[in-house]
Amino acid sequence: MTQARALLAEFYMALVQLRRYPTESISQLVGLTVLFYGLFLGASYMSGNPLLGHRLSDIIVSYGLWTLCLGAVANIGHEIGNEAQNGTLEQVFLIPLGGGRIFLYRGIAQLVSQVILTSVVILIISLITRHHLSFSALDLVPMAMASLSAMGVGYLVASVTLLFKRSGQLLSIVQFILLFFIMIPFSSFHGWLIDVTIFVPLGPMIASLKQMMVDGHGLLTVHGWFWWGFVNVALWLGIGYLVFLKTSRKAARLGVLGHY
Amino acid sequence: MVLSVEGLSKTYSRRGDAPVHAVSDMSLSLDAGEIYAFLGPNGAGKTTTIKMIAGLVHPDSGDVQICGYSVLRKRRDALSHVGAVLEGSRNLYWRMTAMENFLYWGGLRGLPRLEVRKRGAELLEIFGLAQKRKDTLQKMSRGMQQRVAICTALLHHPKLLLLDEPTLGLDLEASDSVQEVVRGLANDSGTAILLTTHQMDVAQALARRVCIVREGRIVLEGETSVVLETFSTGSYTVELAEPVAPSRQTELTELGALWLSPASLRVSANQDRPIHEWLQHLDGYRIVRVELEGMDLGRVFRQVTMKEASS
Repeated sequence: MTQARALLAEFYMALVQLRRYPTESISQLVGLTVLFYGLFLGASYMSGNPLLGHRLSDIIVSYGLWTLCLGAVANIGHEIGNEAQNGTLEQVFLIPLGGGRIFLYRGIAQLVSQVILTSVVILIISLITRHHLSFSALDLVPMAMASLSAMGVGYLVASVTLLFKRSGQLLSIVQFILLFFIMIPFSSFHGWLIDVTIFVPLGPMIASLKQMMVDGHGLLTVHGWFWWGFVNVALWLGIGYLVFLKTSRKAARLGVLGHY
Repeated sequence: MVLSVEGLSKTYSRRGDAPVHAVSDMSLSLDAGEIYAFLGPNGAGKTTTIKMIAGLVHPDSGDVQICGYSVLRKRRDALSHVGAVLEGSRNLYWRMTAMENFLYWGGLRGLPRLEVRKRGAELLEIFGLAQKRKDTLQKMSRGMQQRVAICTALLHHPKLLLLDEPTLGLDLEASDSVQEVVRGLANDSGTAILLTTHQMDVAQALARRVCIVREGRIVLEGETSVVLETFSTGSYTVELAEPVAPSRQTELTELGALWLSPASLRVSANQDRPIHEWLQHLDGYRIVRVELEGMDLGRVFRQVTMKEASS
């Protein structure tokens, strides 16, 4: 029950901020829409004719996935940096649940808000371009799983932030690594490369998504990528969480938990 | 016993710098309803100790037990009995109202929303903030923010409240109101309160026991009244109904009396010459008032810390 109430508390805080400062959310929505629309126009211009069908959907969904995962990687570290700067970080670690769990719940709350925001943006793009994106609600499943795997990487970034209270440089590198991962054609790999993909952050989910969107596979018929996705999420979320717990203890030993 | 601290030590080692012994072999205990003031100059180790008690800094050695649970081994059980307001202005989210902060922090502690609303309203009433419940914290004065922070720390009825410099930066009125609240908490709900402060008058007014730390070590500890009595200088002011004859004044001056006016003097009583002996020298004069000069914690603090610094 404590866990559920803590998770609800994080959703509550996100809602309060949204209600109190709607301009922030609206500007985020407008910014993302403009960016996606620019992407649509750019893709049309580059190809010389209006893009139709799957191709456009791929670009938009890939970009949506990238923003979601980037958010998942950056959120926890960003929150820790903010909390340390504001002076509330130590209060978070004073809660019996512990900082690791609280930031996990906060990450989930932010992820849900981001999924909603990205879906709204994609819907607006569809309306503006009068273009039906071939995107089904089931596509959200590998996207959400990819975000959870990215959250594991986010914990690793957050561990660095916890000790040094800075993660800007690291995040700028990570965003390009993520973009690189999203571009890799994991779904067409053969042999030992498949084994490697299972353990690459987001790997199985990107492969699932590509097979679903490009090749028209169903969620459960994506050559096992879907199930390997669970292994990938458990692995990265587990590694990230454990490293974060260990780093929290190290920060407490060094006495730098509340420093900024 | 609510809090038991045994042999707590912490040394900070930074690469290239000499190690800093922040806290050395610190032991203390607190019972329910007791207010304990932790005094010391800057860098004496007060905040490090309070953070070790809260589990935010891990000690090199020693242990902290809260309601019988070790903060290091049973962190979750131990911290469920602790509320804390740490040094610095920000313990809460300023973009949220008091009640929103209560609902958020109460939720993280697993408290039901209805219970938090009820308890929150009750606390706001007690702390004189009922009319401010809809204001965001950024619109409140520093004193109000501090009181909201204390309210938040009390949502879950903690048995131990840690207050790091609770009246720092507050004006007199706000400081008085925080002191009143702290006293009420200890008396009415039996909360054990450990507070650190630089303001000796605050410590003297609130604490039943005080402890002075210097360079991470306890240099003085005891009941506030006993400490004040021990450090009393034994100086008495004696006021007479009429001026003392010049010859008698000279006689008493030679014994060490200091004349404030021809009809009042200050004398230092000690074992060799107790106060009644001084008064015998004033035979024949009507004595209006004899008053022992009070010792305050500020003077005790200065004496102790200066003595320690020179030794």
